[in-house]
Order: sequence, then structure tokens, then C-alpha cells
Amino acid sequence: MTSKIPVISIRNLTKTYQMGEVAVHALRSVSLDINAGEFVTVVGPSGSGKSTLMHILGCLDQPSRGQYFLDGKDVSRLSDDEVSSVRNSKIGFVFQGFNLLTRTSALENVELPLLYGANPVSASERRNRAMAALAAVGLESRYEHHTNQLSGGQQQRVAIARALLNNPSILLADEPTGNLDSRTSVEVMDIFQSLKEERGITIVLITHEPDVAAYGSRIIAFKDGVITADELNGQRRTARGELAEIPEVVQETA
Amino acid sequence: MLTTSLRIAQKALKRNKLRTGLAILGMTIGVAAVLTMFALGTGAQESVSADVRSAGTTLIFVRSGNFTRGGEESRIPTGMGSTNSLVPADADAIAKIDGVKYVSANVKERTWVETSNQRFYTQIVGADVAYPDEYGWTFQKGKFFKESDVASAAQVAVIGSSLRDHLFGDENPVGKEVQLHNQPYRVVGVFESKDDEQADLAIIPYTTAQKQLGTSSIQMVTVSAEQAGDTTRISDAIKTLLRSRHHLDNQITQPTGGVALGGLQLPGAGSGGATPDDFTVKTQSSEALTKGLNTSVAAFILANMPQMDQTNSQEMAGTLSRAGSTMTALLAAIATISLIVGGIGIMNIMLVSVTERTREIGIRRAIGARQSDVLQQFLVEAVSLSVFGGIFGIIIGFAAALTITNVLHWPATISFTAVALAFGIAAATGVFFGFYPARRASQLSPIDALRYE
Repeated sequence: MTSKIPVISIRNLTKTYQMGEVAVHALRSVSLDINAGEFVTVVGPSGSGKSTLMHILGCLDQPSRGQYFLDGKDVSRLSDDEVSSVRNSKIGFVFQGFNLLTRTSALENVELPLLYGANPVSASERRNRAMAALAAVGLESRYEHHTNQLSGGQQQRVAIARALLNNPSILLADEPTGNLDSRTSVEVMDIFQSLKEERGITIVLITHEPDVAAYGSRIIAFKDGVITADELNGQRRTARGELAEIPEVVQETA
Repeated sequence: MLTTSLRIAQKALKRNKLRTGLAILGMTIGVAAVLTMFALGTGAQESVSADVRSAGTTLIFVRSGNFTRGGEESRIPTGMGSTNSLVPADADAIAKIDGVKYVSANVKERTWVETSNQRFYTQIVGADVAYPDEYGWTFQKGKFFKESDVASAAQVAVIGSSLRDHLFGDENPVGKEVQLHNQPYRVVGVFESKDDEQADLAIIPYTTAQKQLGTSSIQMVTVSAEQAGDTTRISDAIKTLLRSRHHLDNQITQPTGGVALGGLQLPGAGSGGATPDDFTVKTQSSEALTKGLNTSVAAFILANMPQMDQTNSQEMAGTLSRAGSTMTALLAAIATISLIVGGIGIMNIMLVSVTERTREIGIRRAIGARQSDVLQQFLVEAVSLSVFGGIFGIIIGFAAALTITNVLHWPATISFTAVALAFGIAAATGVFFGFYPARRASQLSPIDALRYE
């Protein structure tokens, strides 16, 4: 594993915001390597800088100082169009607030990444691929539903299907279970764990709950913009097993 | 990608129908105003120039004899056989003068026109084929006679609409016969003229009239100039031409009586008391001015207003073109203002839309939309608004022009150019006023857009 180039490699990453007259140091010279196939959970209280880290990892934001190599490439040297292309093909996002387009069907939301891909995709192929992605998260029967007609767990599964559509190498999840009840949270974690096991996708998951962080294979603790702990997780929780024990509170109706 | 942008735009515009409708309405009013104004402007211009044409300010009459001399050489203008100084070849020569559009040789007489049960005393005009074009006549039945009829001195006649009423009532006279001097003439057409006096005329080939009267000369040449302001110059050219054709300057100078009339010049009198003209050249406006006056009085008036025709027609042309450019400026101002107002409406809506959809922009950017994708999406939306506004505007403009024509009886003409222009301007307005909001949308930072509440 060590001989390979890390998927994500950051060096002395610093991010400072100017909030009025106060300078907020969200990240203070953070260095980190993440290898392919790792399920990294970043845990820390709110304001610890973990969300800023994720935004920079996802090429949504630029660091004030320091370097970020994605697959060995310095992201800061890429043009805006190239960065867009990276977001489109290499990175999948899952947000706490789902970030689905409102008044738009689940299918259309999932199709979205194909609209902005480097190669044009025909409408029928878009549909087929989006349907397959929906089926993978168990929502193929609800493809026509608008996002506001879906439950929180279903919306998050649509978002995951969208994030996975272009087969990204990295999945970035920012508090993906923050708005979900405990059973659906475990369901979502089950999806993540199986993605890591079955597809070898690198996952970086941000959470403020140590419970959730325990699903990862490696846990990084964050506080005040610096890494306070970084260790492999020996007592990994497995969502699949827990699911069987939790009674279904909400009866899903198709 | 463009079809995708169109679909997204369609969806976004449908989402807020009232707002979309109002933005479109602004554009619609602008384009409709432009189109209606254009239609009125074009219509007015056409009708003005049509009036000028039918008013015949371009006409010049060349008559044989010099009846304006008055006194010792006075002649009766409408009488026959006054002189035989003009011949058809003179007409052909005049036709070659620069700026002359049509020429028609004329032989006139007054006589009875008879059918089997009706008769009417009127003027018969022997004319050439260009005659109806000179007066801008239209034909409701049949046609004017052809050159071959003139060449063969055929016994064919074209009658005015009111003469038709006298002789035939409501019947179609084309193909029927009328009698002139007990000779049968076949009626080949009925013409309409804006001048009521002309509606009583019967027109026959001038060659036929010559045969009828036993003469090889003609009484008159009706000349029409290309441009209204040109008649005085052409009149002078005709005088010079005819004097040289008739060898008037080569003859021995004849003393003319009564020259010194208070220093006033006599028309037609060459310099140094040369042989007087054996013809008279008058423009239509001078004819209108002196109509009904004693020939001597008319002569003095005209002799002392040598530039009258030119001044008149040039003034008229000047006034028309000034009115035209004022109108054009007014139209352009109204068009610009209404389009700017419509464009600002679109810009306003697009700015609101961009703000409202900041989060959507963030989501699209996070998923991989480039700045150019976002720019295109919002630009397509703005142009859709303006183009729909343009289409409705064109429809309403058409309706308004039709209503104005039918209800107010103002002439209004919508040309394809006006429609194409209105549409093009609408689209261009969409691009122009949509660009700023679209650019603003595309330059939002992805993370700020995503965080926007």
C-alpha cells in the first residue's frame, strides 16, 4: 500500500477566513495522505475545520497556503474548467442537506453529472445509467418522484446514486447522517461500507459524532484546525450486522 | 448541451409562470410597439410617395405651337390643327434625354363615343403605350393596348371607368365595340384614375388617331421625369433639343413685336430676338398654376417664375424627406426606449432568478458544471424570455397594424424585413441584458453558492 501514490496528499494546508476584522484559522498547516480504498472518517466538533478540509479536498474551495495533490496532480495548477472536470469525474459528494435539485425528479437529479461530462451522453443512455444507479440504492421504483416527495433517507440515497454515477475514485461525505434517524443512518453507512468493500472506492466522511466515525477504517480527529489523532480503527462497526438488530420504525411504502 | 440548457430553461421559466409572463409581456410590448411604428412609418411613406406619384409632379407637357405667346401668334390650346410642328420622331428624341422615364406621343380630339344604344361626347386621346404608366392608372378590366396595336394603327380603345358607366353601365365592356366617327373600335380595357376628369376619356393608339385625322404630326408629347425635382432641367433640355431639331436658331431672325413689356421676359423667346419656339413646354405644376388664366396673363406669370417648378418640387421633396427623417428618428427613439424597458425587465427577472437559484448553481458546480455551462444556462433562459416576447410582440404588432388599417384607415405595411428586424432585436436584447446576470451566476464561487441559504 505504501508503494502506491496516495489518492489524496495534502501538505501544510492552511486556510484562513476573514470574518469582518477577525481572521479565522480554519486549517493550520495540515498534512495528510489518504490511500486508495481507505474509508477515512474525520471527526471533530463543529468549527474544528473538518468541513473546510472537505471543501478543499472536493475542489470546491482553495487553500490559503499549502499544496493538494489529487492522484499526484497539483490541483492549484489546474484551470477552473479542469477543476470542474475533476469534480465531475473523480469526486462524488454527499452532503448533510442532500443538495438535490428541488421540484426535479429523482431520475433527473441522478442524471445530472452526465450533463456536464467530458463526453456527450445520449438521453437514453443517461436514463439507463441513472436507473441502474437508482436500482443500486434500491430506489428504482421511485425514479419519477420529485425530491420533496421522498423521505430524508430516500433523498440521501438519491444523492449517493448521483455521486456514484460517474464512478468516481473518491466519495466525500459531509455529515451524511446528520439529518437522518438512526435506522436510516445505519442504512446509509451500510451503503458506504459496501462501496468500500465491493468497489474499493476511497471514502472521506466528515462527522461530529464518534459513533458514526467508528464505521471507518481509519479515524482522524480534528480540533481547532489541526489533526489531534490519526489511527487505524481496530473496532470497526459493521452496519450490515447492526441493521438486522434494529427494528424498522418506518414502514416504507412503495 | 444546448438542448439541455433549453430544457433547464423551459423548466425554470415554467416554475414561476406569473413572473415569466410579466417579463415576456415587457418584451412583447416593446417589440409590438416597434413593429407597429414600423408598419405605420412604412405605410405613411408609401402612401405619401404614392400621392406624389399620382399627383404627377413629374409630368412635362410638350405641345405643338406657341400659344403662350399671345397676341399675334395666339392659338387655341385644345383646337385641332394649330400647327404641325411636332412629329413622332420628336417624341423618340425626347425619350433619349437623361432623366426621362416615359414618353407618349398624343393626338387629341373631342367627339362622340357611341354604342348601339348610348352616346357620350368626350375627349379622345391618341396615345402611346407608356401613357397609363405616366398617370399611374390601374386596370380593373382588360389591359392597355400593346405596341403592336400602335404600330398597326389598330382600331382599339381603352375607356375610363366613368365613360364605361355612361356607355355600358355595369356590363364588362372588354371585347365589345364602340363607334368613333362611325368607325368600329374594340374595347380592350377599362382604367381607373384618381383624376375624375380622366375617367371620362377614351384612349386609342396615337397612330390610329393620326390616320383618322389624316395627319402625320402629333399635337403633344407627354413626358414623365424620373424625379420630381428634375422637371425644370428636363424642360430646358427639351426646348434646346426641339429648337435644334426644328432648326429654329438657323433661321433668319424675325423681329418680334411688343418685347419691351416693362422689362418682363416673354417665355419661349430666344435670346436676342431669335425665332420663337414652335412648341410649348410646360410642367404639370405650372399648368396647374395657370389653369383657367388668360394665356397672356399665364405667360407673364410663368415668365417671371422661371424656377417655380424646381422650387416647388424640390421644396416638396425636401419637406417629405425632412418629415421622413423626423419620423424615422421618432420611431428609433420609441423603439430604443421600449426595448430598453423590456430588456431591463428581463435583466431584473434574471438577477432575481440567479439569486434565488444560487444553491442550484452551487449544486451544479459541485457536480462538475463549468462556468461556461452556467453562463449558457442563464443566457439561454434570458434569450428564451426575449424571443417569446418577440414572437408575441410580432403577433400583436400584426394585429395592431391590421386594426389601425381597418378601423382608422391609416396605411400600415408590415414587411418581412421589419419582422426579421424586430425578432433579431428581441434576441439581441435578451443576450445583451441577460449577459450580466448570467455572468454573475457563472462567477459565483462553488462553495459560497452551496452554502447560500
